[in-house]
Amino acid sequence: MTDGLRLTVDGVGHRYGGLQVLHGISLTAEPGEVMVLVGPSGCGKSTLLGIMGGMLAPSEGAVRCAGDVPPDCLNALTYVFQDFSLLPWRTVAGNVALVLEDRLSRTACAARVAEVLALTGLTDFATAWPRQLSGGMRQRVGIARALAVRPACLLLDEPLSALDAQTRDLLLEEFASLITAAGTTTVYVTHNLAEAVRLGHQIVVLSRRPGQVRDVVRVDRPLAERRAADPDLMALEQRLWRMIRDDAAVAERERIDASD
Amino acid sequence: MPRIDGPIAFRGGGFAPSDRTWAAVATLVGVVALWQAGASAGVIPTLFLPAPVSIARALWALTVSGELWKNLSVSLMRLAVGWIVGTVFGIGLGLAVGLWSVLRSPGMALVSALFPIPKIALVPLFIIWFGIGEGSKLVTLAFGVFFPTVIATAGGVDNVPRGLIRMGQSFGLSHTAIIRKIVLPAALPAILSGFRVTSSIAIVLLVAAEMIGAERGIGAFVLSAGNLYDTDNLLAGIVVLSVLGLLVSWVIGRLERALLGWR
Amino acid sequence: MPRLLGNVLLVGLLCASAAQAAEPLRLGLLHTLSPAPFYIAQERGYFRDEGIDLTFRFFEAAQPIAAAAVAGDVDVGVTALTGGFFNLAEKGTLKVVGGALHEQKGYQGSAILASNKAFQDGLTSVDKLAGHSFAITQYGSSFHYMVGRIAEAEGFDVKSVTLRPVQQIANMVAAVTSGQVDATIAIASIAKPLQASGQAHILGWAGDLVPYQITAVFTTPAMIADKPDVLRHFAAAYQRGVADYRDAFLRLDAAGHPVVDAQTDAAIPLLTKYVFTNDPDARRKILDGAGYYDAGGALDVADVLDQIRWFKAQGLVKGEGDPAAMLDTRFLPTR
Repeated sequence: MTDGLRLTVDGVGHRYGGLQVLHGISLTAEPGEVMVLVGPSGCGKSTLLGIMGGMLAPSEGAVRCAGDVPPDCLNALTYVFQDFSLLPWRTVAGNVALVLEDRLSRTACAARVAEVLALTGLTDFATAWPRQLSGGMRQRVGIARALAVRPACLLLDEPLSALDAQTRDLLLEEFASLITAAGTTTVYVTHNLAEAVRLGHQIVVLSRRPGQVRDVVRVDRPLAERRAADPDLMALEQRLWRMIRDDAAVAERERIDASD
Repeated sequence: MPRIDGPIAFRGGGFAPSDRTWAAVATLVGVVALWQAGASAGVIPTLFLPAPVSIARALWALTVSGELWKNLSVSLMRLAVGWIVGTVFGIGLGLAVGLWSVLRSPGMALVSALFPIPKIALVPLFIIWFGIGEGSKLVTLAFGVFFPTVIATAGGVDNVPRGLIRMGQSFGLSHTAIIRKIVLPAALPAILSGFRVTSSIAIVLLVAAEMIGAERGIGAFVLSAGNLYDTDNLLAGIVVLSVLGLLVSWVIGRLERALLGWR
Repeated sequence: MPRLLGNVLLVGLLCASAAQAAEPLRLGLLHTLSPAPFYIAQERGYFRDEGIDLTFRFFEAAQPIAAAAVAGDVDVGVTALTGGFFNLAEKGTLKVVGGALHEQKGYQGSAILASNKAFQDGLTSVDKLAGHSFAITQYGSSFHYMVGRIAEAEGFDVKSVTLRPVQQIANMVAAVTSGQVDATIAIASIAKPLQASGQAHILGWAGDLVPYQITAVFTTPAMIADKPDVLRHFAAAYQRGVADYRDAFLRLDAAGHPVVDAQTDAAIPLLTKYVFTNDPDARRKILDGAGYYDAGGALDVADVLDQIRWFKAQGLVKGEGDPAAMLDTRFLPTR
């Protein structure tokens, strides 16, 4: 466990054209902890994730980071994407090595690739093409690629949403152990409350558009000690859903002009 | 209440034509055979259309005398150089137009304005600008190849999934690295598809390019034979051009399979 | 078949309406000054007098006229004697029956032009053409033949001249004025202004160096077999046109200059109806460009046979037939 990066969101708001999607967001992602952002569709959680990682410039407010970065870190703020974003013309190993190949020596690169492939159970698939892999395997590549750059902060944008429920359950457990092992500050966006209670130390509930912080729930139990069937986690899930349900019903009926 | 009874009728299938190479070959062979039969029977006057056998004889004579290679080698050299120059510049401008808005509208406006100009009409200008040596021939070929390449490349770049570019940026890749590792490989299928078009255009333009001051070359050969009403040699030259086109198409197919095997 | 039917109907109609039936005849010719005797004969009604209703079919290039005769679109034609023409004639589809334009000593038809650069570097006369570059329209053209004849006359190998085929006459001129070829040929109306404006140098006149039959009158074997009388009447009218043309443009005075008088003035408006129409410079262009026609439209048989032999020796005309079989000299005189 490293001390890690602290991300501070200060009065962030964002507008797409005339449409306000986020308003007055102030949060702190604590070093080494997992912050989960949940809320109804259109509440701006993916937008917020983009702002936190520097991929989007906020209309109002600012995000700051402070803290330690792993010694061999090649990219501090690293994303994992909902649609995997793998390069179809590169093998699994090639995708993982995308950033490494220019920055590390050949041997060092190969060593690190082998290491993360082993971590994510992809060693036998190193020479496979993305089109040959199932959704779950592709996302494993996504997280292997992210871990390969020794990030200071992991930003995951609904990483399991594109997978079927069975794969999602399997991968969720793997994610939990990988995140725990990596010990990096993590910001995780999802609409799935089961994932939220399984992974989050801070669960941030956003209201519907324009997204504002409705509530922040702390769960201090270490991830390694959480089980899917734990009653208090299931109760927390219900509590979160009650917070979100009405907003979700309204949001579902809204026109899709600006998405998360 | 109405009832339905009986086995379920098959409603699917169709709309999936398959390739039958043997049918293609058989058709070509059949047409040539019919043609030869017509010429031998005197139904097709050989003044208007030489028999396949006379064309074959003319081709043989050209091969044996070395004339064929003398002309073909010169043309191949022109095709190679002209095509490469046009392609390199075309990919360059296509990338630029696809990536930078400062160049996009001016670039595409220029391309749209200049593309439709028939190269044959420009030949007299090319003589004055580039001389009647190899220069004007290479420029004619490069010009003809340049515009479709720009359009294909720009289209390919436009169709690069933006998500992949954002992924590259999120990993801190430099601008050049993103172009090299993401944009170019993603645009490659469109670029290679453009190669099919531009190589055909180049072969067609060979005749136009070799109109000016070419002593040798398959295009010049075809033009000269046509002028002399030497129909045997004219068609022999056209056959050579056709075969060249088929060969180039085959080469590009192999290239696609090698480079785009990941699909 | 349709053509025959159409002709029969036409003759029938004319018989019904008029006492005298005029035989329709289609003549293919280049839309330039060179077929001038035909314009004169048409305007002065010589064809009508011979009972022929002559229609001009104009072409922008010489080669297609021969092809049109083969295809049956014209009945007679006047065009340049090129390799392509002889290849068609060799296959028995065309017959040369009379002479038209001829390069002749003392008459400024076409000039050999040298570029300024080549002239300064020493290309000052045609015997020095060996080793230089020469622009022509195409292999087998009359320009190609002219280079070959000059080579023979001056004693150098025609293969030592680098020929540059450029398709159009305009390209030949552009190539020599821009110095990209050392020499080419151009007709007087182009060559003289170029020399005057310092853009090129005239090395000599083709008529003085290598007089030869440039264009000829031809027809198809079918016409000769089916309508020899019509051809004879056509030839007679043509000869009257040639006679008038020679009187108007080809008389030379003691010093060798063209005589320009009332006959010339009378002929010029007949021509401007077809060429240089509405051109204020028409008169000068006609006087400068009038080419030589032999009296009676005579065919220079010896030269034509020489041409055929030369083209065959160069491999441009294929076939083992007797060159004389391409000619039919029963309709017009020979030199």
